[in-house]
Amino acid sequence: MYQDIAFRTAYLLTGSAADAEDAAQAGFVKAWRALPRFRPGSPFRPWLLRIVANEAHNRRRTVGRAYALQLRAGTTEPLGDAAPSPEGAVLAREQRESLVAAIRRLDERDRDVLTCRYLLELSEEETATVLDVRRGTVKSRTARALARLRTEVQL
Amino acid sequence: MSELERALSALARELDVPETPDLAPAVLAQLEPRSPRRVERARWIVALAIVVLAALAAALVIPDARAALFRLLSIGGERIELVDELPEVPAEDGLELALGERVTLEEARQRSTFALRELEAPPDRVYVAGQGTVWFLYGTPEAPRLLIAQSSLVPPVRELLLKKLATRETRVERVDVHGSPGIFLSGETHFVILLDRDGEIVEESARLARDVLIWERGGVGYRLEGDLELAEALGVADSLRKTGVR
Repeated sequence: MYQDIAFRTAYLLTGSAADAEDAAQAGFVKAWRALPRFRPGSPFRPWLLRIVANEAHNRRRTVGRAYALQLRAGTTEPLGDAAPSPEGAVLAREQRESLVAAIRRLDERDRDVLTCRYLLELSEEETATVLDVRRGTVKSRTARALARLRTEVQL
Repeated sequence: MSELERALSALARELDVPETPDLAPAVLAQLEPRSPRRVERARWIVALAIVVLAALAAALVIPDARAALFRLLSIGGERIELVDELPEVPAEDGLELALGERVTLEEARQRSTFALRELEAPPDRVYVAGQGTVWFLYGTPEAPRLLIAQSSLVPPVRELLLKKLATRETRVERVDVHGSPGIFLSGETHFVILLDRDGEIVEESARLARDVLIWERGGVGYRLEGDLELAEALGVADSLRKTGVR
């Protein structure tokens, strides 16, 4: 059950399948060894993901691979309530691709906070735990990252 | 939520994320104890949620207790965790409270979201716990002879996990319960905790369980507790029949 979210987290933070696999593996091993320090009663998922995220960051820095996140092949539904049409799907696809490209161009800290909040759908509190920052920092970084994205995409 | 935020959320479902590789073999290989002393020092020997991934490692042959437990996870939503010391628990007189609301057998049949399995002899008492678990008690709360729990794994119960804390003196065996995967816990006592999917404690049972057979059949988790040998427990499990009420 945690294997999928650990790998997804590592992948979205590194943008590389190979790095994500290494980071998730190392994260599980470190979490196992750190279990005696886990506080019973506190949420397990963000605790585990924080360890995985640290491993993902370490790999990203040491390996220095390009962040290669991309859209899945296939049709894309338009945003909002508009009925899908062929041209609508093409436009939506372009919109998504420009959004992914803009995310790729963000600096690491901005991208990480958006990844946690929107791509992994973590709460502010979980994001704060995973990224090892205060909740207020999550709020301010999210606002800053969204503002930067807005300057690059028409949304 | 702004349009940009909605677009980001929608993007989460459209990203090309590779399929999760099987991490278990590599993780297990690294978890092999470095020395026996290290194992002795470890307070928590077996794994919390991490090892759910290692259920995939069923095919691996790793001859220590920890690896044996790896193979026993995810049976009917139950998890086993081996600890050096069991937590303090209230005395046995908490049993009735721990089982939930006392109801009639007919009421339990009606309230259950799945067809209950019953023995030919009706239980002495019937309870429905907060999470929809139905308990049959044979004997009295002061002197229980046999306890049978049945729990549907469909939501919201699917979101819950039952964690059993066992000591190293607890024997944990993987068994076949008439074609269904099961676990038999015997020997030293163990402790039962209900967790939500984030690993937070929802409910603790106020008692130490005795010999326990756990198995899953048709999306329902069953638990049978009492002073029973494995063969006896398997015999009782086989005698549990659906009532055909629904």
